[in-house]
Amino acid sequence: MTSVAAPRGSRAPRLAAFSGLVRRGGAVWVIVLALVLALTFARGTGFWNSGNIAAVLAGAAVLGLVALGQHVVVLGGGIDLSVGSMVTLTSLLTAVLVDGYPIRTVPVIVAMVVLGAAMGLLNGSLVSVARLPPFIVTLGMLYLVSGVALTVSATPAGRVTAALTDFSRATLGPVPAPFLVLVAAVAAVWLLLARTPWGRHLYAVGGDQHAARAAGVRVRPVLLGAYVTSGVLAGLAGVLLAARSAIGSPTAGSGLELSAITAVVIGGTSLLGGRGSLLGTVGGVALLALITNAITLLQLPSTWTDLVRGLIIIAAVAVFVVRRPR
Amino acid sequence: MPETALGARGVTKSFPGVRALDDVTLACAPGRVHALLGENGAGKSTLVRILTGDESPDAGTVVVADRETRLGAPREALGLGIVPVYQELTVLPEMSVLDNVLLGQERSRRGLLDRGAQRELARAALARVSLEDLPLGTRTGELSLANQQLVEIARAIARRSSVLILDEPSAVLSGDKLQALHDVVRAIAAEGTAVVYITHLLEEVPALADDLTVLRDGKVVSSGPATDYTTDRIVREMVGRQVDQVFPDPAPPAGEVVLRVSDLVPVGSSAPPAHLEVRAGEIVGLAGLVGAGRSRFLRTLAGARGRSQGGVDVGGRRVRGSLTGAIAAGVALVPEERKRDGLVLDLTAAQNITLTDLRQVSSAGLVRTARENAAFDEERERLGIKASGPGQPTRQLSGGNQQKIAIAKWLRVSPRVLLLDEPTRGVDIGAKSEIYRIVRELAASGMAIVIASSELAEVIGLAHRVLVFRDGAVVGEVHRDPDSAERIMHLALGTAS
Ligand SMILES: Nc1ncnc2c1ncn2[C@@H]1O[C@H](COP(=O)(O)OP(=O)(O)OP(=O)(O)O)[C@@H](O)[C@H]1O
Ligand SMILES: [Mg+2]
Repeated sequence: MTSVAAPRGSRAPRLAAFSGLVRRGGAVWVIVLALVLALTFARGTGFWNSGNIAAVLAGAAVLGLVALGQHVVVLGGGIDLSVGSMVTLTSLLTAVLVDGYPIRTVPVIVAMVVLGAAMGLLNGSLVSVARLPPFIVTLGMLYLVSGVALTVSATPAGRVTAALTDFSRATLGPVPAPFLVLVAAVAAVWLLLARTPWGRHLYAVGGDQHAARAAGVRVRPVLLGAYVTSGVLAGLAGVLLAARSAIGSPTAGSGLELSAITAVVIGGTSLLGGRGSLLGTVGGVALLALITNAITLLQLPSTWTDLVRGLIIIAAVAVFVVRRPR
Repeated sequence: MPETALGARGVTKSFPGVRALDDVTLACAPGRVHALLGENGAGKSTLVRILTGDESPDAGTVVVADRETRLGAPREALGLGIVPVYQELTVLPEMSVLDNVLLGQERSRRGLLDRGAQRELARAALARVSLEDLPLGTRTGELSLANQQLVEIARAIARRSSVLILDEPSAVLSGDKLQALHDVVRAIAAEGTAVVYITHLLEEVPALADDLTVLRDGKVVSSGPATDYTTDRIVREMVGRQVDQVFPDPAPPAGEVVLRVSDLVPVGSSAPPAHLEVRAGEIVGLAGLVGAGRSRFLRTLAGARGRSQGGVDVGGRRVRGSLTGAIAAGVALVPEERKRDGLVLDLTAAQNITLTDLRQVSSAGLVRTARENAAFDEERERLGIKASGPGQPTRQLSGGNQQKIAIAKWLRVSPRVLLLDEPTRGVDIGAKSEIYRIVRELAASGMAIVIASSELAEVIGLAHRVLVFRDGAVVGEVHRDPDSAERIMHLALGTAS
């Protein structure tokens, strides 16, 4: 076989190791680490205060759930622009439907998850059965669902129960409860992606739909599953968001879809589908949560958030995007 | 056992502008290898797609195990034991070898992948195509084209099949790997599977086939036991005329040195530096086993790959180590992976052909469609390109016709140095001899040509002298004489006396 090793003064092996790191989603963690170090040594920020850590972790939960769903959809070669509006609708409905009655808490949570699944199913059907482009389908859904949320209530409304508020503030040691929900979701998605036939098929469909079909893969259920996963996770995120803010708002989740896509992309997942790692997306979520936190801690104007995000996205893509081997 | 494992009855299929299949009837018996032959664009792959449910016929039916059957999707055909390896690779480059072999046939227990069973199955299938040493976790895109093809074949073998269809599996294989493929094909047929085998390498026919069918312009020309056919007869029926495959001695190169390669080491290679001088009018062949480094050498000359030391001069001037530098210096490469490196599949046939030199077909800064079409017609005439017209998207052309386009576009630029990497792979026999003629003509007009090929007869027949590669290094040079084939093999295998 051709020799793979390249001893003589060549950059190839180091590049290869680097691209391996990128492939496995490790690259974004390098920035996360750097940022953590910087915050640790920046004077008087109190980054490691247990209160601050809890705030960072809790803040990551909603975005994390949505980004997980996005990760799954993007792996399958799609995109889900409707996640933000789904979070808005489910969080608003949680507050409005529970409206302070403890007995309604559990049924409403279940209903929100089912509602998320239903919206995902609609996205998935339009994409896989009607064969419409995901970008347009989910863009349409974004407006549609936002519109529904506004008809439910154009102003902040409803009220969650004390149980929900308590849950969102509860901690297990230093770890806030909402973050544990995220951890459980990450584990579940990991299991689906890495250990089930459906996960394999998702990578294949995202990589090349025609090739997957030729190998006997049923493309439709694979894509439906991806969008339903995204919807369910958005529903859960909606409930967590409602619990945290205590009342419902018709704009609660707006912009989340872009944050989620950002997390996925800076985690090294290809927007073309078929390639990406969960570790990377989780790193992307961590990075976004840290940026927000850093701006608060360093008492920079909050208007800087977008500026910093923009710079980081471009830098991350420039450095970390996997270049196809020539 | 059924009489016909897989067959077609009166199958017709048209695309806009072409009738790809015209009343095709075919019967493949269990336990026999059935060769399907025909020129580029004859309709072989279209027939495969219909037989496997990837496309549906306009008229006629598919016969599975003696019964007329409607196949709605490849999955349905797979369910009936009809397992294809399509002409276009369908391995997913980003997935591991293990996942590719088991795609669509994952083993699971209680909903989760049964990793032990998966490994075992993949190992067994890979061992049958001589890839037992390949680590299962390797990303498939990192493999050579030949190994990717074998992974794809392993995927098919891992399934239990009553019919195995191989569409030009040998187009990227040679040497040991081709031998391994032949062995496994014979073994599978011996187990009672019907094998449909498509190839343009006619030497494979007597070695493998029990029966054969020749297609021309979508019609069955003839069909029968392989023993009834000589290669001459096959060629006559495929092409409709005689094709001579003799190589006259080339005119001795007269010009001065055009290409000078000194101390060249490609990035990532640990082989000793390579030297080469090619004169105007000279054709130098590169021989060696797959993976011996011929393609890498050519890609380095063409600036598509970095060099860690050494230089390339054309006409006495140093060439910059980049693609644009090489093209500016008059170096053109017809790459091996034509589909990835040589074509823009969404452009039309004519647009691809003229892409390399748009000045030829434009005036006043605008591309003239009429001239572009004229250029296409010229090449269609020359190489026998089969397309519905200059405006047909390249993606829709048959595999071999795509190859012809990729070659034509570089023949048009009249470079000073022309590098050809496996130029006749997947190309039918008529076009092959035409490509030989053109290469000779180009050399006679003063071009310096380097050609790499796994077909020994081709390198020896065309070239003035042959450089033999082994393990990334040039291990010898062989001149045209009656024993050159044997000497090249010894050098390539490292058994030189
Ligand atoms: N999707 C398509 N749209 C339009 N024309 C097509 C399409 N697929 C195939 N054709 C045409 O059908 C004809 C037969 O093509 P096919 O791929 O079956 O040839 P082939 O015998 O396999 O050739 P090769 O040896 O080059 O692989 C060609 O003229 C091709 O251009
Ligand atoms: Mg074909």
